[in-house]
Amino acid sequence: MAANPELKRKVEELLAENRVLLFMKGTPEMPRCGFSMRVVGVLEQLGVEYGAVDVLPILDPLREVTGEIADWRTFPQLYVKGDLVGGCDIVEEMFESGELAELLEVEQPGGVQAPAPPEPSDPHQSPPLQLG
Amino acid sequence: MIAEALPGAEVEVVDETGGGDHLRAIVRAPQFRGRTRIDQHRMVRAAVQSKMDDGSIHALSITASPS
Repeated sequence: MAANPELKRKVEELLAENRVLLFMKGTPEMPRCGFSMRVVGVLEQLGVEYGAVDVLPILDPLREVTGEIADWRTFPQLYVKGDLVGGCDIVEEMFESGELAELLEVEQPGGVQAPAPPEPSDPHQSPPLQLG
Repeated sequence: MIAEALPGAEVEVVDETGGGDHLRAIVRAPQFRGRTRIDQHRMVRAAVQSKMDDGSIHALSITASPS
């Protein structure tokens, strides 16, 4: 199944418009998967603004699109400046090492801590992507 | 499967839930040297893609490092 061109175009638009873009299961206020929740937790600790897209309504078509764009089909996926950084494992590793703060050009929060429960301060919620 | 795709790798697979479908793969491989984390993860995923596609693995966490 080739990627839906309209959906792919919309994803490319979102990547261009959002310096930090998270494809996740659920929303930052209500994540629907443990891995997605952990990535939200990391972003909240870093205090960065990010776009969040709930993949659940469009899961299979979106896997095809990200498979073509970034050769990666599982979620969550964190993109920074249009490039795929990775899923939960990579985000947590880079957070702990300080690389993520550096990439995002923010200060590394003092002390390494386990991800706090998400308390969205100013999550930028993208409207749900629609097909067709 | 991972060891076959990455000769010389040290591989440990942990079943995170006891149900056989949430796995953690801990992989140290010479093939990872000089590669970004996402590329290292792509290599591990490619080795087990058939099991992800048929649903026998629901979630795969990866800890990868060059050896």
